[in-house]
Amino acid sequence: MISVDTFLFVLASGVLLGGLYALMATGLAVVWTTLGVFNFAHGVFVALGAYIAWQVTQSVTGSVGYLLGAALSVVLMFGVGFVLHYVLVKPFERNANLVLLAVITTLAAASIIENGILLVWGARDKQIAPPISGTVGLMGAEISANDVMILMVALLALLVLAIFLRRTAMGRAMRAVAQNREAAELMGLNVSRLYAMTIGLSAATAALAGVFIGSVRFISPTFGSDPLMKSLIVVILGGVARFTSPILAAFIVGIAESFSVYFLGLYWAPAVLFAMMIAVLLIKPEGLFGHRSKTL
Amino acid sequence: MSEALLELRDLSGGYPPVSVFRGVSMSVGEQESVGLFGPNGHGKTTLLKTVAGLIDPWEGDVVFQGRRLNAEGKMRPRISRNFNYDLFQKRRIRAATVVEAGVIYVMQGNLLFPEMTVEEVLGVAPLAAKGRSGVREMRERVHHLFPRLQERRFSKIRYLSGGERQMVSIAVGLLALPKLLILDEPTLGLSPKLRLELMQAVRQIRESRVPLIIVDQNIEFLSGLVDRLLLFDHGAITREIDAASMPSHDEAMAMMFGESH
Repeated sequence: MISVDTFLFVLASGVLLGGLYALMATGLAVVWTTLGVFNFAHGVFVALGAYIAWQVTQSVTGSVGYLLGAALSVVLMFGVGFVLHYVLVKPFERNANLVLLAVITTLAAASIIENGILLVWGARDKQIAPPISGTVGLMGAEISANDVMILMVALLALLVLAIFLRRTAMGRAMRAVAQNREAAELMGLNVSRLYAMTIGLSAATAALAGVFIGSVRFISPTFGSDPLMKSLIVVILGGVARFTSPILAAFIVGIAESFSVYFLGLYWAPAVLFAMMIAVLLIKPEGLFGHRSKTL
Repeated sequence: MSEALLELRDLSGGYPPVSVFRGVSMSVGEQESVGLFGPNGHGKTTLLKTVAGLIDPWEGDVVFQGRRLNAEGKMRPRISRNFNYDLFQKRRIRAATVVEAGVIYVMQGNLLFPEMTVEEVLGVAPLAAKGRSGVREMRERVHHLFPRLQERRFSKIRYLSGGERQMVSIAVGLLALPKLLILDEPTLGLSPKLRLELMQAVRQIRESRVPLIIVDQNIEFLSGLVDRLLLFDHGAITREIDAASMPSHDEAMAMMFGESH
């Protein structure tokens, strides 16, 4: 079977994965619930964010470089997301087939950015040096301190995002636009700018996830597609009824993935996750948590 | 009549290619209240949505306080369906411009923001006032006008009754500090008791001299509130009646459809 400390180790790595997926899936879910489009470029936002941070760590070393890189990456990616709204979504917003068109435009953007990364940084794998080393003991199991930090910061970032959406005027305006665009327009809210802000925020969370993933795994121009797929599973599994739905689902997916990798091997883990997703789609298509399809 | 606040000049519009209203000209003066009466499906709401900036007008102008709110000229028709016209053709009127000018449209049967609480919605509403002063006083008045909303301030809009939603809608409109308030069938589908309560509120808004455009199916309701009544029929204003000669419901129906409606 499995010894207690191995179990704890596998569980801990599952929880870490869950934190990263939560960060990515929430970004995806926020765009989906607000704009009603699915952003296939979310994966390359992760990759681009990681590369920006990596570039900074090349000239500024140590944890200062890491912090600086992460901050710069989050800020720049917010800008990228903001601008991309005007390029990818806005020109088609009066079209009846917006959802389908956005699939194509975001896929196109993903492809262009991915190849852009390949041109600029090359295909060789890179890794961002973890800012902190050493391990933390958890009932006999040794867990990397970097992983613990990542989990903490990811959860903190989600908490900040939740508070922003609930408590600030800007966040409330974003939720208002998500729930009823026409009524929001009649209140004089600048819908386009709020949409752009939403994609910007989503890209910023993706960048943060990218920086974290970049410090635990290798980064390559296409490495965003795997987390994107996992986030898709998370969003479908958990639904988007509440802000917390994808977060809870992310931890389920992360832990399930981690245990499948341990027991069934790396190549069977996606099959397990997709089987879970199919089961949820069959039994409770709106997702495990909450019963409505579209809110924030 | 005093100087015109809002003026519609030969306004035409609809949902391309379906024309809904044609050549509508009307005006609302300072401190005036105008009723719009007409059967369902004749384009009243489409007209008002156009004025509010949600739908592009095809032709004609919306002028508020002497300033034209829409783009000049006519709407160009689409020649081909295989072409993204939206890239090249700007919106001809924007809700943001209209709201900024001070024209606030309260939608009919509005769901507003189902997942937000009453308090949150009323907190966002003054954003439409664009920093004009007087929001605090208006908040007091809204509390006074709709005490029920105070009781339900922590409820999500989704859980409110139809009447309460309508109250929130009107409160949101008022918190935008309107220079002209457009109420689209405020009493639609309400129970008689709520209807009375809401009529009372609208009357009080009227007494505070906020210029109004009110749409309703009920002439008795309108006749106590408006200075002038416009009959709207098949996408055009067919008759204008002033307060002195306000018809009964049956008379108005007869005017529109002949004796045997």
